[in-house]
This record gives sequence, C-alpha cells and structure tokens, in this order.
Amino acid sequence: MIQLYGVTKAYQKDSSALNDITLKIDKGEFVYITGPSGAGKSTLMRLLYGAERPSRGQILVDGQNITRLPSSRLPFLRRRMGIVFQDFKLLVRRSVFENVAFPLEVQGRQRFEISKKVYQILKLVGLEHKLQRLPLELSGGEQQRVAIARALVVDPSVLLADEPTGNLDPEVTLEIMELFKVANARGSTVLLATHSREMMHHFPRRTIALEAGRLVGDITP
Amino acid sequence: MLERPVYLLRRALRNMLQSPFLCAASVATVAVALTLIGFFAIIVVNIQLMTRDWSREVQVIAYLDVVPAESSLKGLIEEIAGHDHVQGVTYVSRQEAYERFAERLSQDADLLAGLEADFLPASLEISLREEFRTAEGVSTLVAALKQKKALSDLRYGQEWLERFEAFVRLLKVAGAVLGGFLLFAALFIVANTIKLTLYARRDELEIMALVGATPLFIKLPFLLEGALQGAVGGILALGGTFFLFHLFLQEGMSAVLLATGTSHIAFLPGFYQLAIVAGGALLGFAGSLVSLRKFVRL
Ligand SMILES: Nc1ncnc2c1ncn2[C@@H]1O[C@H](COP(=O)(O)OP(=O)(O)OP(=O)(O)O)[C@@H](O)[C@H]1O
Ligand SMILES: [Mg+2]
Repeated sequence: MIQLYGVTKAYQKDSSALNDITLKIDKGEFVYITGPSGAGKSTLMRLLYGAERPSRGQILVDGQNITRLPSSRLPFLRRRMGIVFQDFKLLVRRSVFENVAFPLEVQGRQRFEISKKVYQILKLVGLEHKLQRLPLELSGGEQQRVAIARALVVDPSVLLADEPTGNLDPEVTLEIMELFKVANARGSTVLLATHSREMMHHFPRRTIALEAGRLVGDITP
Repeated sequence: MLERPVYLLRRALRNMLQSPFLCAASVATVAVALTLIGFFAIIVVNIQLMTRDWSREVQVIAYLDVVPAESSLKGLIEEIAGHDHVQGVTYVSRQEAYERFAERLSQDADLLAGLEADFLPASLEISLREEFRTAEGVSTLVAALKQKKALSDLRYGQEWLERFEAFVRLLKVAGAVLGGFLLFAALFIVANTIKLTLYARRDELEIMALVGATPLFIKLPFLLEGALQGAVGGILALGGTFFLFHLFLQEGMSAVLLATGTSHIAFLPGFYQLAIVAGGALLGFAGSLVSLRKFVRL
C-alpha cells in the first residue's frame, strides 16, 4: 500500500515539481501515472524509491513512513521494490543472467537459490535461451524485458516503472505491457508512468493524471 | 556480505580486468608519487645517518696542565666516568698527543725536529652518551667538570654544537613540510585518478544503489581495488626508487656527498621499504574512500 499526504517537492525555491499531492494506492493495484512532459511523473517515482525527499508532506510505503527513513535504511526499502526505467539501466559488461542475478547477489542470497530464481524469471519474460548474451547484443524490447526480469526477481511488493516503453516500438510496447500484467498478477502493486495512450487503451486501469505538479485526475474505469 | 571476502576479491579483480587502462593509470600514479617520496626518504635517511656520525664527534676535552700522579689520575677518570652523561673517558698522555700530532703532519713531520715530545699537554677526552650529545648536555657536563680544580681548561665546541643543532632542526622541519606536501599531492592525484575510474563506472554504482545495495557493499570492492592497486604501485615505486638511487645517488651524487664525510650512501632500510608498499595500499584505499564519497550517495 502506498499513501501520500500533502506531498510537495520543490527542486528550486520558487517552483515545485509536485504540489500538495494526496493519494492512496492499495496493495495489488495497477495504476497509470500520466500527464504531459514536466508534469512531475518521474519526480513522484523518485520520491517513492527514496532518490529524493519531499519538501513537505508524508509518504508511506507498506505502512512505513519513508520520509523519516534514515538513508542507511534506504537500501532495504529498495529491496522490496522493483524499478524499471525508460533507458533500461542494465550493466552493459555483464550477461543477461548476471544482470538479473544482481539484486539477489546484492542481498547476499545463496548461489543455487540465485540460479534457480533467475532462470525461472527469465523463462517468465521469455529470455531463458539468451542468458549468456550481453545486453547490447539484444533488441531494445529484449533489453527492457531483462530489466523487468531484474525487477521481478526479488518478488517486489511494489513495481515502479517510469516510461518503460518510451524508447520502444508500439508493437513491442504491448508485449512489455503483458509483462506488467503478469507482475501484477503475481502480487506486485504496479505504478506505471507513461504517455502511451495505446497502453492505457488496451489495458484500462486506474489512471492518475498530473499536470504541472498538481493532481488533476484520478479515474478508475 | 562481510563473510564473503572471496566474493569481494573476485569483484575487485573483475573490475580491474574490465578497465585495464584506468587500473594501470591508478597504479602508475601511485608508483610515480611514491617513487618521489621514496627518493626523498633516501636523502632524509642519509642525512640522518650523517648527522649521527657527526654527533659522535661531540666530546669534551680537558687539558691537564699538570699531570697528576697515576693513582690520583685513575681516581679522577673514575670520578668523571661516574657522571651519568659520560660514555667514556680516554687519557691522552703527552707522548700520545705528540705522536698523534706527528701522524697528522705526516710528510711535514720534520717540522717537529728538535722539539721535545712533551710540548703538548696531556688531556682527557670525555665522550658523551648519545642522548646527551646536545648543546644542553654538554653544558651540564662542563658545569659539573668545572667543579674540579684539576680540570680548569675545558674545550667543547659549544657554539659549533648550537649551530649544528639548529641545522638539524631546520632539516627536520623542511623534511616534514616537503614530505607532507608530497604525500598530500600524491593523495590528491591518486584520488583524482580513482575518481576517473569511478566516473567510468557510475552507471554500475547507480544500479547497485537502485537494487538495494548498502553503501558498504558498493564501496568495499572499490576500496579493496584501490588498496590492491596502491600496493602494486608501492612495489613498482620501490623498484623506481632503487633505479633513481642507482642512477643519481650511488654514482652521480656520491662524489659530492662523500666529500662531506659520509662513508657511503645507503638505500632505504627494510622498514622503509615495507612502509612504501603499505603506504601505497593506504594511499589507494584513502584515494578510493575520498572519491567514493562523491559517487555513492543514496
Ligand atoms: N533534478 C532536478 N532539478 C531541478 N528541477 C528538476 C529536476 N528534476 C525535475 N525537475 C523539474 O521538475 C519538473 C517535473 O519533472 P519530472 O521529471 O518529474 O517530469 P515528468 O512528468 O517525468 O516529465 P517527462 O514526461 O518529460 O519525463 C520539471 O519542471 C523539471 O524541470
Ligand atoms: Mg519523466
């Protein structure tokens, strides 16, 4: 569950990227965050995974107030989250397998457990036959699937995706979309920031609209 | 994670293999910086040895106008030797003084022809313990010796000693300043080189933080890497120092230095060699630590 109370984020003194946002997202929900460029979608995401702290207001993730979280606890917040970006953010010198294994490695999991889990997730995203490849030997869609596998390998309670299909072709977009549906079905709360009307049209879900940092719409179809 | 040093080492080695050029650059900067410091240390060490040699010359000479009877002379020597500043007392008889003088004249010894062997006074050469070979130690001893009537004529290069001490103090200050400066410059350069390697891997650092790596987990391999590169740089620096030592000190400069009375120029003692390698590791470690602060922010 994610709760925001009067959250404001101002990077500079006189203008705020987010302005007095209050909203609640239940466990297991699938939510689009939408709005024009500069509306504050990425800022909202960054607040949720603790890359930024709000200027005002409170944010709770699974009942934990992350605005008061000491930075030493931040890694442990992120271990419960999966984060997906427009630019994939893969380790280009590591294989597909190693990329997906990385979060588990960071958490100090046992090796046999890692192998099993990684193979299972790669199979889920349909890349189990390319696990020795390097990211740059894959198509953009495949790279994003690796990134999603990396996010899902920890069974995240929250999956954050910031324009995950922004760099991809429309037909690939729908393939990627399917993966988010699967993630949601496996129990993750999904927050997906996107411009893509196509996505929202093919798979209508609750949509939160931002504009110039304000909440201007919250529609559940 | 700390209980997996092998895993950490593997990550560190792998990182180095992945960017061999930057790795070589870090090693090279440490090596160059420590070579300079090592060369500087050789000079400092040799000046120290030289001053210790010189300080051996510090002694008090008591001329005896009247040579006392053998028994009272013995008593006098024992009494002087009992002073806690005194290392030893040597009696130089008139005859011995004459012989030494003649020896020093060598070819011109015929100047002494016709002179009686007893025209030089007998003396007591009083050497000081190492810790008292100072202007202060000498004056304390001289004050004590002056109490005795038999020892009226004392010679002890007080002025020379004071100047010598000022010189040694200056050397120490200059050494500390220059050494400190070199070390600081080395740290600065090494930290900047490592910053470059971190910059090349900033994506990796970012991704680690995003998947929930603790700062320690992120930093440890880099710190280990820095320490390893630094140690290798230290070993190379030892070689570099030896090369410079051979090139400049042992052959080139030795003529000049030997003229000042130094018997030979020594390479760094074992402890210093160890310190250079350990210093390299420390330098690499500190350099990584300093640069990581800029990159690993969560
Ligand atoms: N690090 C930053 N420093 C200063 N201003 C920032 C920073 N990041 C974002 N902003 C500003 O905050 C506002 C919201 O930016 P944000 O990136 O959240 O928008 P967005 O909705 O993600 O836009 P886009 O659809 O283009 O990705 C913008 O006006 C932007 O210029
Ligand atoms: Mg954005």
